[in-house]
Amino acid sequence: MANLIIEQVKKRYGSTEVLKGIDISIQAGEFLILVGPSGCGKSTLMNAIAGLDDVSEGRIMIADRDVTYADPKDRDIAMVFQSYALYPNMTVEENISFGLEMRKVPKEERDIEVKRVSEMLQIDHLLSRKPAHLSGGQRQRVAMGRALARRPQLYLFDEPLSNLDAKLRVEMRTEIKKLHQKLGTTIVYVTHDQIEAMTLADRIAVMKDGEVQQLGSPQEIYDNPANLFVAGFMGSPAMNFIPANVVATDNGIMLELATRTPTLLPFPKKQALDAYVGKEILLGLRPEMITEPQHHKEGLEFVVKSQVNVEVTEPMGADTMVITRISDSEINCRCHPAYPAAPGSDIELMFDTSKAVAFDKDTGARIDL
Amino acid sequence: MTSATTMNTQAARRQSTPLEKVLRVALYICLLGMAAVYLMPFLVMFLTSLKDVEEIRSGTLLSLPGSINFDAWGKAWGGACTGSNCNGIAPFFVNSFQIVVPAVLISTIIGALNGYVISMWKFKGSDIFFGALLIGCFIPFQVILLPMARTLGWLGIANTTTGLVFVHVVYGVAFTTLFFRNFYQGIPTDLIKAARLDGAGFFTIFRRIILPISTPIIVVTVIWQFTQIWNDFLFGVAFSGFDTQPVTVALNNLVNTSFGGKEYNVDMAAAILAALPTLIVYVLAGKYFVRGLTAGAVKG
Repeated sequence: MANLIIEQVKKRYGSTEVLKGIDISIQAGEFLILVGPSGCGKSTLMNAIAGLDDVSEGRIMIADRDVTYADPKDRDIAMVFQSYALYPNMTVEENISFGLEMRKVPKEERDIEVKRVSEMLQIDHLLSRKPAHLSGGQRQRVAMGRALARRPQLYLFDEPLSNLDAKLRVEMRTEIKKLHQKLGTTIVYVTHDQIEAMTLADRIAVMKDGEVQQLGSPQEIYDNPANLFVAGFMGSPAMNFIPANVVATDNGIMLELATRTPTLLPFPKKQALDAYVGKEILLGLRPEMITEPQHHKEGLEFVVKSQVNVEVTEPMGADTMVITRISDSEINCRCHPAYPAAPGSDIELMFDTSKAVAFDKDTGARIDL
Repeated sequence: MTSATTMNTQAARRQSTPLEKVLRVALYICLLGMAAVYLMPFLVMFLTSLKDVEEIRSGTLLSLPGSINFDAWGKAWGGACTGSNCNGIAPFFVNSFQIVVPAVLISTIIGALNGYVISMWKFKGSDIFFGALLIGCFIPFQVILLPMARTLGWLGIANTTTGLVFVHVVYGVAFTTLFFRNFYQGIPTDLIKAARLDGAGFFTIFRRIILPISTPIIVVTVIWQFTQIWNDFLFGVAFSGFDTQPVTVALNNLVNTSFGGKEYNVDMAAAILAALPTLIVYVLAGKYFVRGLTAGAVKG
């Protein structure tokens, strides 16, 4: 178990900069998730931590030891690959013990370790099989077993679940989380799946274009996104961005939405909007904050009701997503399935802005931080 | 794959119309015809080798031998004259093996290492290096005869078996590298990364992970190289000394040496003998080749 410090890490391929000065530091035992769309540099950063790719500038420290220029094998890390990368010519047992063998661990100790790991991952009945004769989920377990057997300081997971089918993915996700809770190891985990990021992480680093957009706990990132990109990337369905005019009224600064009859919404941090009076901003409101009228919220400070026209509905079982349109932006609202919302009709919805955030329309930056 | 094939067969059985049957018969006739074209010369050679000289002169090409005797084979092997020397082609057989075995082994090993580096340990300019190496596949043998003769002389291995091995290795590496490189392109580089993190080095990865999954391409390369080098005549005749001639050169000498009448039966027997090793390699290794391809050795 070890802490990980990444300082001003840059990576250039020719003249293109893939990593533009990454700063991340996590405590021993933390589960860090690097998340972002493809091409954001998360896999490059992962390879840099592993030592499979040299960095152009900056410093990487594992357990307070500078490993920036150390060989992969000297960094005491283990990695689980998206393709599993099991050695096809070796049995499960040989796959798991290969790393130990390379580190000159005696045979008896290797056997004990293989037994421990395979029992923990419930693959002890597969030890004599070759990877070609395993299912996707079993291969995934073996790949994890291979990483666990070495008891490294740091585990790297490179999109380990993306080759599994949906059901198995959820199962393995829970299993990885349990494993982390049980072993308390430091983990860096790359994914492009924001649900994986939310469910697994102690801390999430949202990346885009080779830069960390925000580093924080899942809840921080969900509730307090640093910018438009982070807000839109995390959460499913995504946060609604509603164009709104900042207007000064008798009750102070309000946000005006272009519904059929304009709706005035209060905003928690009004003072942040002072500079924007008379201008248009983007109001960020999660779908669960736009609902059918709920009695217990009636009369609360940041709750306003308004009429909207239903464009389409998407029943999801527990909720029904009602999709409407305000100022040409599609708005997702999470309503109770029993609430009548026929497409084409006008219904009343409740806007709760207590957790709303505001973004600059042009720069995408958070206004009210 | 298997189930798809079965389904296709079943579908063909169900829908087989009279026209399809006719076409199928036509196809078989066509295939048999082509097989005959390929087999006929061999049949003539074989039949001729069993006849004696009298019978060859009196009979037709395709007539069966009156009595089967292998005298011509014995003579071709151990008594026929190649130039002034009358020990048959046996000694040259040994020469050929002394050239082919090391040349095939060395060129295959170098090819495998080259392919491994070019596809998995890319360095700056490795693609250009590979491109340059590929040119070797397109240079005609004749072009390099003189420069190679100078080189061999300069290295002091002219007219020796070592010299011939050297020439064949140099010429073969372009092809073997191409084979291995293309095969290794299909192997995920994650495998190498995983092994590096596990603590394995360049040669350990090659020996423990890459070579064991290379069986199909090793078989292909060995077949190709064995056939090329065994059947080579030009390098053999140009760069061999009197006592290092390969069997192909000896065969030529044997056919061109005649005291009195031409012994076609001996010529034919010698030709079949000279062709036998490549045939055996195909029959034996061809099986492993197909097995290697269908076992899905690189899956996972």
